[in-house]
Amino acid sequence: MRLQGSIQHKSCADGSYMKEYQIDEPLSKEFFEYLKYFGRVTTLEEMGDGYYNFEKPNWFSIKGFAGDTTVEVRFKRETMEITTDFLYSLFSSFKEGADIAPLKEKEKFRQKRIDELLK
Amino acid sequence: MPPIYLNNAATSWPKPQSVKDVLAKSLELPVFGSGRTTGTQGIDYVSLAREKAAGLFSTEPEKIVFSQNATDSLNTLINGFLLKNKGCRAVTTALDHNSVLRPLFENQRAGNVALDIADFSSGKVSPDVISELIRKDTKLVVMSHASNVLGSVQDVEAVSEILHDKGIFFIVDGAQTAGHINVDVEKIGCDAFVFTGHKALLGVAGTGGFYLKDADSIAPSRFGGTGTRSSELYQPNEMPEKFECGTQNVTGLAALAEGISYVESLGISEIHARAKRQSEYLISRFREAENIRVHYEMPEVPVISFNIEGLSCEDVGFILSRKYGIVTRTGLHCAPLVHEKIDGGAGSVRISLSCFTTDEECKTAADAILEIAKNAASRLNSA
Repeated sequence: MRLQGSIQHKSCADGSYMKEYQIDEPLSKEFFEYLKYFGRVTTLEEMGDGYYNFEKPNWFSIKGFAGDTTVEVRFKRETMEITTDFLYSLFSSFKEGADIAPLKEKEKFRQKRIDELLK
Repeated sequence: MPPIYLNNAATSWPKPQSVKDVLAKSLELPVFGSGRTTGTQGIDYVSLAREKAAGLFSTEPEKIVFSQNATDSLNTLINGFLLKNKGCRAVTTALDHNSVLRPLFENQRAGNVALDIADFSSGKVSPDVISELIRKDTKLVVMSHASNVLGSVQDVEAVSEILHDKGIFFIVDGAQTAGHINVDVEKIGCDAFVFTGHKALLGVAGTGGFYLKDADSIAPSRFGGTGTRSSELYQPNEMPEKFECGTQNVTGLAALAEGISYVESLGISEIHARAKRQSEYLISRFREAENIRVHYEMPEVPVISFNIEGLSCEDVGFILSRKYGIVTRTGLHCAPLVHEKIDGGAGSVRISLSCFTTDEECKTAADAILEIAKNAASRLNSA
């Protein structure tokens, strides 16, 4: 799955920065299951085809409905420069049964930089 | 399909056809108005808007000053008052918007004022609480006429009575009341009343203003051309030139005049009665779900804030927008102190109606919110 670019963006009242991304295939329950390795996922399975919200504090959140080809991402502004390419990796690395170890390693290094930045 | 728009406390939508028409009409001829042109054709929309606003608030046109919006008005009034009264104490309330809080807190940081904050209970700030905060050196009170989060209208007449005897300057922020309830500034007894054009007065963004009883009470904080007394190098002292400089938003003020006319044609009492009925309907529907918490159940202006247990306000707002095409607002609504008390600072979902909101839209919104609440209650899974 790939992010194909931002179709709209705005500064949010809570200080975050929202970008809506087009993706090249519909969101699925399996994708959000996979995201659980990297943060907290809230689910309302009977809301349409399923509503999902992935939250990774100090990084970003991802909201969307299963079956949609857009997602709303809210970045923490202060860390956006560090986390944007990880967001792209999260999508592009998704494949059922794939080894997530390299991405977890990348996450660890990024987290260290974020912790230093927010210290 | 157009959205169901329930974010009218931020900016109202749709606008009356007559407002859209006058926007175009106002651009068909050159700007006409005293002091800046030899042209005599067209309509002096600025004077017209001033007359309309004065009529709406039961005062004289020369006591109405135009600005960009309510925040701009509050900055002019607060900064202008503190220029003349540096070092005094001021009182505001925990219900107030950042348009009041930030000018006051910035002035406090700069050493221009010391602040006291009146708390609220059950959506209201008791006039007694304000009275108790008044000290010898308190010279200013600024408070919202209605909370933009709870929709509760404050007893500004009673506050005014308390302050009047003590000679304390009283600014009322009417951003959420003008156009929703009848406002008579003389009856309120305030020294200044702030309004905005783009909410319930059905104008466009970039217009607002204030009523000011006594021009001498406020020092101007911006200076420039007024088209009057042009040989003088200092700002004129007359109203409204003392506070209005630079070219006005003529097109916006044309829309404001027309918006006020439209509101008057419907009748504010009728607008209020309809909004009250629709708000009561929504709140009664919300009571059907145990996990919906409405933060104030008797709003006097059509603003309803709520949360659904187990879901963030952003989740609810996102689902309403994307699945149902219902536009609300989520978060702190620029009123952080209210949220500290009602939801621990987490923020709420706010729905706000206008005179264009239909009963059917209210029903659709209630059904959608109840469906989300039902799903949240039964199916919420967290990893």
